[in-house]
Amino acid sequence: MTDIIDKAARALSAGLMLFGIVVLGLVETLAGQPFAPVPMTNEAGDVVATPLIAPEIRTGFVLAGIAVLGLYAAYRLVAPLPDDRGVSHETMAD
Amino acid sequence: MSYQSSNPLVGEVEFALEGPWATYWIAFLRVVTGWWFFHAGVTKIITDGFAFSYGPAYMQQMTGTALGGIPVWMGNNLAWLIAPGVPLFETLIGLALMAGALTRLAAFGGVIFMSLFWVGNAGFGHGVVNSDLMGLLLFMTVIVLAAGRYYGLDALIEQTALVKQNPKLRYLLG
Repeated sequence: MTDIIDKAARALSAGLMLFGIVVLGLVETLAGQPFAPVPMTNEAGDVVATPLIAPEIRTGFVLAGIAVLGLYAAYRLVAPLPDDRGVSHETMAD
Repeated sequence: MSYQSSNPLVGEVEFALEGPWATYWIAFLRVVTGWWFFHAGVTKIITDGFAFSYGPAYMQQMTGTALGGIPVWMGNNLAWLIAPGVPLFETLIGLALMAGALTRLAAFGGVIFMSLFWVGNAGFGHGVVNSDLMGLLLFMTVIVLAAGRYYGLDALIEQTALVKQNPKLRYLLG
């Protein structure tokens, strides 16, 4: 069970973050300029092209991936790994 | 886990590098670092082809930096290499890191690029530790931890007879 949750957290967090960064980045690059998620302007300051994918969407995926890692960390606080269960406090050996 | 009683800061602290969370994160860092350079390179190719004239011009302006006259000389004399080389090598470094193939060699190229950006941008308004230095450290981390061995093709390439007969290749792979 523990192993499944660990793997799921890794797969989901990396999946979300890589989708927002790499996959949607590739789509945006292939769609043509602007290659960055900001509008292109001419010398007069007029917007001449807008990004295919809004930056809110791409950053949203990355933040969701980070949130998954945060949720996993919170889960580990309430359900520590078997090795750590017996350790209520760390002491220096001397 | 055990600690030295005389100095707890020099204990045999176990860092589970082979643990699944460590390998997951090392591989993730490698892919995102690779995407960073791939995007920078491939968009230059799409826009300007292999004639990135800003590259030599950028280096010609690097006077008075810690690298001395080297980049200026390169900008003046190696423009034929730098103009096509910047988009080409950025793209190849990115692809190699994402695939995890020839990772250390590619990341070494990234270190050279980022050293030039870090020193050349001279944007030290927020201190010497800026995002360019962080990018430089990412490439060095990829090299030190042999990031291509985790979910990367180098894990397979290093099993080939060629690499086993020439173990020094592992310094370029991994």
